[in-house]
Amino acid sequence: MRLITHNMLSCNIKGVTNGFPLRIEAGNVIEKEVDFNPDFIRHMFAKLEWKALVEGARSMGYAELPEDSPDAAVLESDESFLKKLHHALLELHLEEGALVCPKTGRKFPVNKGIPNMLLHEDEV
Amino acid sequence: MKATLAPSSLTFTSLPYSSSFHSSSSSLLFRCPSSSASMTTTTRGNVAVAAAATSTEALRKGIAEFYNETSGLWEEIWGDHMHHGFYDPDSSVQLSDSGHREAQIRMIEESLRFSGVTTDEEEEKKIKKIVDVGCGIGGSSRYLASKFGAESIGITLSPVQAKRANDLAAAQSLAHKVSFQVADALEQPFEDGKFDLVWSMESGEHMPDKAKFVNELVRVVAPGGRIIIVTWCHRNLSEGEKALQPWEQNLLDRICKTFYLPAWCSTDDYVHLLQSHSLQDIKCADWSENVAPFWPAVIRTALTWKGLVSLLRSGMKSIKGALTMPLMIEGYKKGVIKFGIITCRKPL
Repeated sequence: MRLITHNMLSCNIKGVTNGFPLRIEAGNVIEKEVDFNPDFIRHMFAKLEWKALVEGARSMGYAELPEDSPDAAVLESDESFLKKLHHALLELHLEEGALVCPKTGRKFPVNKGIPNMLLHEDEV
Repeated sequence: MKATLAPSSLTFTSLPYSSSFHSSSSSLLFRCPSSSASMTTTTRGNVAVAAAATSTEALRKGIAEFYNETSGLWEEIWGDHMHHGFYDPDSSVQLSDSGHREAQIRMIEESLRFSGVTTDEEEEKKIKKIVDVGCGIGGSSRYLASKFGAESIGITLSPVQAKRANDLAAAQSLAHKVSFQVADALEQPFEDGKFDLVWSMESGEHMPDKAKFVNELVRVVAPGGRIIIVTWCHRNLSEGEKALQPWEQNLLDRICKTFYLPAWCSTDDYVHLLQSHSLQDIKCADWSENVAPFWPAVIRTALTWKGLVSLLRSGMKSIKGALTMPLMIEGYKKGVIKFGIITCRKPL
């Protein structure tokens, strides 16, 4: 699971109103190189939940992103920032670990890179 | 206002969204075909709910196992699109494999066109995030993400499918645009209003609670975004008709068992469910004539030497599934089964 996906996932257990973002328990993180496409990164930036991305990246061992979301102007001028964002979003893979609901502590396992978000009967 | 669809041509009707919602509850809630327990009386309410919950778990598990077992086989013979092809009506030409694959792509394009997504470039540019509900091995996701330069997330009950979908994405250099998770379409792990396009291509038939399914689709679509549902339905009921004829129900029950389907509903039922939410541009069509060549073609491929060997290797679920295919043809021929598309848009 990459952070671009984590940025979209939330906990849907009945009664949980703010199940985003999920905390990451990193068991095994690997890095896989992906071709750098600056336009794609710029395209995605507008809809990112920045805090969730920064915290998620930190949990996966990457602390290079700024705490606060930069101005859109930075996207045009600063290629090194774009590359950091590219690395965090697309090149870090959580192969084994868990995603943890911020409200209930419930763990959603991640195996072979795939999160299992199925709820149990008593959670719906 | 009841929509009547002329079955012999590609038509659509634009329906007003002010009609009251009629729930034919026995057809919308899950009913285990082989169970004799009645689900409609509520004096044993809690027991019925508990039974339904366990049955839902069993259905979910059955669906996951069915696709875990059969996906590889399907992919080997038909490729990565696990849905019907779209053909010109009355096309009697024997198509090649590549002809059928093209038809499957055409199904995606026709669905986009019907919903209004591909009316103009401005509309297309708005699509940045797509959810593929019941994504199979990700054929639609990869196609749509490529087409729109958007991000697509797919959900499936089958871990085998999710893995295969991710592997195919990586092989096609699309891993940065698409990802696949194991999740339940009835409990989608997303916050409200995240997706510009909510795509359900032939997965609706697996949903035991159609109302809940539609609620989730409506919840996760963004304001201004579109929902596209392409699904197997039973024929619309006529004015005054409460249920299908017993022989029709019997035919569907036999199909339900091997394909892990809960009770079927009609296109009208989907339209009514959508109308109960504040949605715009609700449209539907009957594409049964446009998918007619599909099942005969699938049967033909199953009967080839390669097909038979693969079936035997795959397992009982695949074999039973293959034996059920003639029932699908019978269902279409007798007008019981319909191939429907239902689309709408969430207001801004």
